[in-house]
Amino acid sequence: MIDRGQLGSILLAATLALAAGAARADEPSRYPDWGGQWFRTGGIQFDPSKPLGRRQDAPLTPEYQALFDKSLADLAEGGAGLNAHTSCVPHGMPRMMNAIYPMEFVITPQITYVLFEDNLPRRIYTDGRSWLAEVEPSFAGYSIGRWVDEAGDGRYSLLEVETRAMKGPRTFESSGLPLHADNETVVKERIHLAKDQPDILIDEITTIDHALTRPWTVTKSYKRKRDAVWYPNECAEDNHHVVIGKDHYFISADGLLMPSKKDQPPPDLRYFGARK
Amino acid sequence: MRLRLTLLSALGALALTAGATLAHHSFAMFDRAHLIELEGVVTEFKFVNPHTFIYMAVKQADGSTVTWSLEGQSPSQLARDGWTRNTLKAGDELKMTIAPLYSGAPGGAWAADLITFRDGRQLQVAHSTRGFPESSDVSR
Repeated sequence: MIDRGQLGSILLAATLALAAGAARADEPSRYPDWGGQWFRTGGIQFDPSKPLGRRQDAPLTPEYQALFDKSLADLAEGGAGLNAHTSCVPHGMPRMMNAIYPMEFVITPQITYVLFEDNLPRRIYTDGRSWLAEVEPSFAGYSIGRWVDEAGDGRYSLLEVETRAMKGPRTFESSGLPLHADNETVVKERIHLAKDQPDILIDEITTIDHALTRPWTVTKSYKRKRDAVWYPNECAEDNHHVVIGKDHYFISADGLLMPSKKDQPPPDLRYFGARK
Repeated sequence: MRLRLTLLSALGALALTAGATLAHHSFAMFDRAHLIELEGVVTEFKFVNPHTFIYMAVKQADGSTVTWSLEGQSPSQLARDGWTRNTLKAGDELKMTIAPLYSGAPGGAWAADLITFRDGRQLQVAHSTRGFPESSDVSR
């Protein structure tokens, strides 16, 4: 049985706890305000300061430059080149930060989530963890972040992120600009608001990859819209682009395969009618 | 209604420089250097992901009909500019300038600013939905 005195103590403790909680909620967050909807400020290419494709001037190794040249030649004939996303293979990192469609940051002390309309979320762990001995690869990879209080004013302003354990095939952009097939990519990012521009977010991305002769750094920026409306974009809903073998086809209005290239043969049908 | 295969290189060049729009995939299979004109009747407007489609019945010289499968912007992009699934409907008679498949099969890409209703009405087109999806603007 709880007597009246004990009940009073319990109620007082509960009231104080609630008050303390309210006081904490009123304190300025240590974390920056990255809420709202972030739209890319440039095109859909990887380096927004240069045109999509060859003029990205990516520092490719000769081997991967040759692969890229071949991909561009295929695109010129109407093929899909190395762009596996044609058949809905996820963008993966770092291409997902091209932000074809807008993205959202949800910050918690342990994890910062980056949400997309057309990709699964990124999870950036900020709980102080170390790299696992082995991580199952994924297209978005495994990201560890560290918040930095640049001004020393008790508030974080910069999120440094390192991402490893990515799965392929991946390209930097829809031109087919490739990353290495070994998937040993390391992506380092510095994400922060632009100085004196609270509605501009900057992501400085450095990609280290065996398809490149040196680390490649590009700077992306995104513009904030506060009154967000989201439109999920599930690629598999009604994608008319089909890759069979290495060839790209297009689905007709009546649901049949059509060629995308001039004089393109139909796919190899050797396994049809095999049990005659 | 008829299919007019017209070389429209100048128009193609204009489309290539049109406002930046979105593309999920490569749109490189659509030949934007050789645009063609189509006139026909919408059989279905598919406001679907990852990209919208207009199916349009086009009458041939011999009286038969071919249905074209025409891919456009994503619904999210169009919705942000005020489009809905009802902006176009079956039975609408359209004149379109499209980027056809390189193969010559009845497929292609449509651009919101290159469509008019047969009676001359125009569609609502914001800057961000002008032109074809930009991923075929690949520098080679």
